[in-house]
Amino acid sequence: MTANASVAGKAPSPRRWAFKRPSERALYGAMGFIGVLVLWEIATDVGIFKKSLMSAPSLIVKAAMTDFGSGAIWPHITTSLSEWAIGFAIGAVVGIPLGLIIGWFRRFDYFASVMLSAIYATPKVALAPMIILVAGIGIEAKVILVLLLSIFAIIVSTVSGVHSVDRRHQQIAQSFGASKRLLFTSVVLPSTIPFILSGLRIGAGRALVGVVVAEFLVANQGIGWYISFNGTMLNSARVYLGILMLGLFGIVLGEMIRVVERRFDSWRPEIH
Amino acid sequence: MPEDGSEWPGLRVALAVPQRRDLVSVAAASGQSADAGYRTIRSRDRKQRSKLSRWYRGNERTVLGITGLVSFFVLWQILAMLGLISEFFFSSPLAILAAGIKEVQNPRFWTDVRISAFELTMGASIALVTAVPLGILIGWYRRVSFTFDPWLNFFNALPRIALLPLVVLWVGLGIQMKILIIFLGAFFSIIMPTAEGVRTVDRTYLDVARSYGATQRKLFTSVVVPATVPFIVTGIRLAIGRALIGVIVGEMYAQTEGLGVMIDKAEAALASDRMLFGVLIFTIAGIITTEAVGVIERYLQRWRPSIDVEEGH
Amino acid sequence: MAVEMAAKDLIMSAKGIRVEYHDRTTKEAFLALESFDLDVVEGEFVTIVGPSGCGKSTFLKVVNGLLRASAGEIKLKAAAKGRDDAMVFQESALFPWYSVLDNVAYGLVCAGMSKKDARERAKPMIRLVGLEGFGDKYPYQLSGGMQQRANLARALTVDPGLLLMDEPFAALDAQTREIMQSELLRIWDQAKKTVLFITHQIDEAVYLSDRVIVMSARPGRILADIRIDLPRPRDLHVKRTPPFVAYEEQIWELIASQMKTSASQFGGG
Repeated sequence: MTANASVAGKAPSPRRWAFKRPSERALYGAMGFIGVLVLWEIATDVGIFKKSLMSAPSLIVKAAMTDFGSGAIWPHITTSLSEWAIGFAIGAVVGIPLGLIIGWFRRFDYFASVMLSAIYATPKVALAPMIILVAGIGIEAKVILVLLLSIFAIIVSTVSGVHSVDRRHQQIAQSFGASKRLLFTSVVLPSTIPFILSGLRIGAGRALVGVVVAEFLVANQGIGWYISFNGTMLNSARVYLGILMLGLFGIVLGEMIRVVERRFDSWRPEIH
Repeated sequence: MPEDGSEWPGLRVALAVPQRRDLVSVAAASGQSADAGYRTIRSRDRKQRSKLSRWYRGNERTVLGITGLVSFFVLWQILAMLGLISEFFFSSPLAILAAGIKEVQNPRFWTDVRISAFELTMGASIALVTAVPLGILIGWYRRVSFTFDPWLNFFNALPRIALLPLVVLWVGLGIQMKILIIFLGAFFSIIMPTAEGVRTVDRTYLDVARSYGATQRKLFTSVVVPATVPFIVTGIRLAIGRALIGVIVGEMYAQTEGLGVMIDKAEAALASDRMLFGVLIFTIAGIITTEAVGVIERYLQRWRPSIDVEEGH
Repeated sequence: MAVEMAAKDLIMSAKGIRVEYHDRTTKEAFLALESFDLDVVEGEFVTIVGPSGCGKSTFLKVVNGLLRASAGEIKLKAAAKGRDDAMVFQESALFPWYSVLDNVAYGLVCAGMSKKDARERAKPMIRLVGLEGFGDKYPYQLSGGMQQRANLARALTVDPGLLLMDEPFAALDAQTREIMQSELLRIWDQAKKTVLFITHQIDEAVYLSDRVIVMSARPGRILADIRIDLPRPRDLHVKRTPPFVAYEEQIWELIASQMKTSASQFGGG
């Protein structure tokens, strides 16, 4: 069959090409990235896109220069950043030990499991109006929402990490007569680290959702508010600018955690 | 499987004589004095358990899980009744139940449910039918993937709900806006893992298919798609959460109709019981959809051997 | 049955061991071992061979305390110093998050020794198994054979009265396995240990052992207890000598008869 020959002839290993061809990747990536921006610019320029709705890359750059130049955007960035950081930090500090405890003590785990999966399935943003009512319109309400959104991802991932400890590794510790404490520190904790990290990665993203939603619903500062406010003012360039900053923050964050995760890759169990 | 039951003499003995502690006690009774300097590893002293305790041991997870859930609600109720947590802010299980009973008799509630369900189904299914083929395309063709990677990574890292004001700019505050934001939430959650699944298809299987002269089409249906199913399911799981966020926030933002508005209005009217009943509906929706995905996954994955077997020799 | 020996020389004596399993998914019970008796004498190298799933690894786990028998008992000589027994596990049983040195020192840390002292005590063992200079490496940086050397060193470090080895070379390629076999004999000779070794490789069993225990298909029972009278020290050439081949054939006959029985049960076992 001719189709067979042509297929067999190309792409020797679809599983590894992403790592194999960094220069090709960069070339096509740059083409895709710049291409979209250029098309966008042209489309707006010739009137295919409405300027008020779609803006244009050049207008976004101009808006960025204005707002960064005047410094008007910094309070929004610092507000959002501190809401995110405080909520996420509390989530990590409370969530990781809680996840370890739930995963480690079988009966405790059983006891919490139904409750935990019910809470996990609940979209926490639905609680936003209640949180605002209870905690007011200040930073507290936003921190609470961020915390609620991030902590369960961290707990659930940590618990599943403790559960996925390799049974053979446990047997080795048992075989050499390791104490419970040593079993925990020498086997359970190290094998759970990759899971904790992926929990933190997911939790960090969820926390960002919390920041945005809280600021949409009630705020007078922050990137979420900046996007929302400029939307109602039909100032589309600033809407895109705000979205761009959030996306970039998300990418930087993800990469940072991935760098840490890669350090543990050599002994990372297979998970998806 | 034994062809003939009689090939299993050992098994039958095991079932007929559940314990043979006599062996241990005989050894102990013979009282060997030369035992000094030896450690004895004895057999399991199997306790005779009552029927109830055996049942409990078999169902401990379920029993404790339900106990946990029930005690959560009972504790909440008691604390609310004692006034230790404010019923005004946090309501109480019984008040939520009462509000729920009142609510389900209200036709407006069912309109809200229908609208939210419609938005969710539309947004999520459009996302599914577009994201899966596109994900397979991107995962399969290297250059397509490289070209779109920067933008895909950007949208994947972005909390998609941030696009809400933009979507409002584009299509206004109607139901299209909500469907679009739900779609955006779900789409990227599905396309990313799908593409990753295609990228990581085991080469051996592809080689097998090609060496037997499989057409491109056959290659996809016989190897690529089955191998990618677990990834797609993972994507759908993530997408459910994102889509539900889209429903709630989209409705709260637009303030027209749906369960999100119901929650928001209830809270504005300081009716925390009605509001929490609304949240409960979302919890149930989340559980049902996640369970449904699990059922479908188990069906699609029935060829995958179960890994939960004790002692693999 | 086991050769009669003076009680003071016994390192391990198992009587009437019976192990039942419950498959969690099918909820079925099956017998892994039935009325299993075995004596091991000080300084001996004893190997258990048998078809897959005959419960030979199960027995080792019972001795090691990882599994409890449903009946029977085992007497294990209490070591004056060190542990009574230690296990060399099957492939890739090193902790991937510890360096080779920390893996080898692990047993001592379990016994309550400080990490620093344990490392000091582990160093000579690393030298003994031929891993000098690899102490700082992580397991994934080692070949399969080297990983099993470290695995062996970890067990030797706790100075066990009885060394239990659970198919330690099963995952290695043929050449590496032969090298590891002769290395094991060298180390055994230097460390003066009593070894209870599990394998499904007949030539491995004959080459290494003083005694080979041949087991039946499940539920595992002892079919034969064969004394291997080949001169020591043995090098790999011994595998080509007629007495060696005769031992191999004798054991093969016993196992093959079992395979026929089990084939009707398991479709080939």
